[in-house]
Amino acid sequence: MSSFKQKSELTYAEAIYSCMNFAMESSSDAILIGQGIGDFKGIFGTTTGLLEKYGKQRVIETPIAEEMMTGFALGASLNGLYPIMTHIRADFSFVAMNQIINLFAKYQYMFGGQFKPAGLIRMIVGRSWGQGAQHAQSPQSMFSHVPGIRVIMPYSADSVIENYKHEIENKNRLVISFEHRNLYDINFKLELNHGNYLNGSTVQRAGKDLTIVATSIMVLESLRAAQFMEENYGLSVEVIDMTSTSHPDKNLIFESVSKTGRLIVADTSWAPYGVGAEVSRIICEKNPSVLKSPIRSVGMEQTPCPTGKTLEDMFYPSVRTLVKSALEVCGKNVEKLPEGESYRDFYRKFKGPF
Amino acid sequence: MINSLNLVERAFFIRRIEEKIIEIYPTDLVQSPLHLSIGQESLAVGVCSNLSNEDQLFTTYRSHAYYLAKGGNLKAFMAELMGRKTGCCHGKGGSMHLADSSVNFMGTSAIVASTLPHAVGAAYANLIHNKSNIVVCVIGDGAADAGVYHESLNFASLHNLPIVFVIEDNDLAVHTTKKERQSFDLEKHAEAYGFLTYSLNDTQDPDAVSKFMQGIYLEVKTKRKAAWVKLKAFRYKEHVGISEDFGAGYRSKNDYLAWSAKDPLITKKFEIEIISKINLEIDQAIEFAKNSPFPELADLYTDVIQ
Repeated sequence: MSSFKQKSELTYAEAIYSCMNFAMESSSDAILIGQGIGDFKGIFGTTTGLLEKYGKQRVIETPIAEEMMTGFALGASLNGLYPIMTHIRADFSFVAMNQIINLFAKYQYMFGGQFKPAGLIRMIVGRSWGQGAQHAQSPQSMFSHVPGIRVIMPYSADSVIENYKHEIENKNRLVISFEHRNLYDINFKLELNHGNYLNGSTVQRAGKDLTIVATSIMVLESLRAAQFMEENYGLSVEVIDMTSTSHPDKNLIFESVSKTGRLIVADTSWAPYGVGAEVSRIICEKNPSVLKSPIRSVGMEQTPCPTGKTLEDMFYPSVRTLVKSALEVCGKNVEKLPEGESYRDFYRKFKGPF
Repeated sequence: MINSLNLVERAFFIRRIEEKIIEIYPTDLVQSPLHLSIGQESLAVGVCSNLSNEDQLFTTYRSHAYYLAKGGNLKAFMAELMGRKTGCCHGKGGSMHLADSSVNFMGTSAIVASTLPHAVGAAYANLIHNKSNIVVCVIGDGAADAGVYHESLNFASLHNLPIVFVIEDNDLAVHTTKKERQSFDLEKHAEAYGFLTYSLNDTQDPDAVSKFMQGIYLEVKTKRKAAWVKLKAFRYKEHVGISEDFGAGYRSKNDYLAWSAKDPLITKKFEIEIISKINLEIDQAIEFAKNSPFPELADLYTDVIQ
């Protein structure tokens, strides 16, 4: 992993690229599978040039056949290959639901451990810029519901590198990783090799008045909100990155909420039966009396994602939504809100077409 | 044991095993759905007889015969049906999810057509690893209704994978005939992918099936090209369960009578010594299974990844 240490910072996309290259370089059994995996756009630059470097036998540009290619990945894994599969939109994985849920997640269990298929399925959450109802979903809860899958949502370059490196080196389980496309161009300072991100949850900011448990890009939004609340309201907010939605560190989350007595869950998807519901379950099953006020969930509105910009901005939570919810949970009146209502205004680097 | 028998005896052995299961089924020793292979044993024996241990087999929930014909352990099979810890899948798979990795019987699925892409992926890995073994994927004609059938055939042909698709054509998907489901001719459709295609109608005799398959495997191994085979089949029992259902109105008893008149497992007289040897082996397997422990609570949680 020397290539990682040479730089003090990387964009999220560069971190993924480094991991893809590491996988291919460190084992001849690693294969990359996906629509567009070898084309000139290279999955937002995360696989660019790897086809030329490692050949088309190992970098497989696939037919539009998600179910088959997922089953293919499982079959290849049974014979010793390590498939890294990419769905350039998480929405496309629904076509492969049968293979993921009925087969891959159960293959080790239902045959009594005779087979141990492993693989990494990267799913890109396409939020913003008119992606609409079928290009912007974030279905981590659906997959986290099913035993046999580890679901992760790395929010930073460090988290990507620690998680992907671990999976690539160990090759012992099915992991689905949600990569939020708005993270790709963001620069992150690298700390590396702390192992923090492998336990399912990490504290990204310590605080004593309120806990925000967040996933993926909502960790960055929560850190913004926390900073704003400290500066403007004198509130001390703890932010927990829920790196794995299927296998969170339940004790770490409970201890934080025990300390602060207040909880907001900020997720990239819908609230019903979602991450917020699960975190609430964790707290309620351990000891709900640690809560000083009701829990609040922050996520997408309970509608399909609209395409037009005006509606889209209403549909997604912003840093303002987070601050408003936080003030409510803390029993404070709203006096001031952060500038920049729109998510896209803050991460204004991004433009389409895809 | 099974390898010491000739092919017709192997098929007979498998039939006796399932007939024994029918006998014990009402006792509730086996508490799960069963999709019996009875009537189709000759296909399993014929398909498996020319495969090496390293050749890999993927098939469906109607797989008792294939598990046994590939050399799968009989005691572990019986124990698996009875949900015991000593079962081939430690009581987690049962009749519909059999596997014996030691003989490269790679797992079966209760979702129609779902093992097709596994076979394709496995064959691709064999190609990358320069292995000389082949992969055989056995499915029913119902699987050809599914989209993933096309997807799998397309990829296998596109990449010249060392794989043989075997379609057991019994004209039925559960209770629905092919003409109610398919607008196309199976064989012509397969030809369109550029496969070497083969078809055999008289499949009652395992020796005939074996000889037929031997030539196909040789072609695939020498040409390193995928093949597609259709074997006519006849299911003697209902789709799921231990009974006959010729009175149900969706198929004819006369067809059964015509087919089974050529079934050597019915027409042939087997030597008493062979029958005794087979019965003893089966009884021992059932005793082994009945005396095996059930899994415990800790076993419930093993083999779930974290």
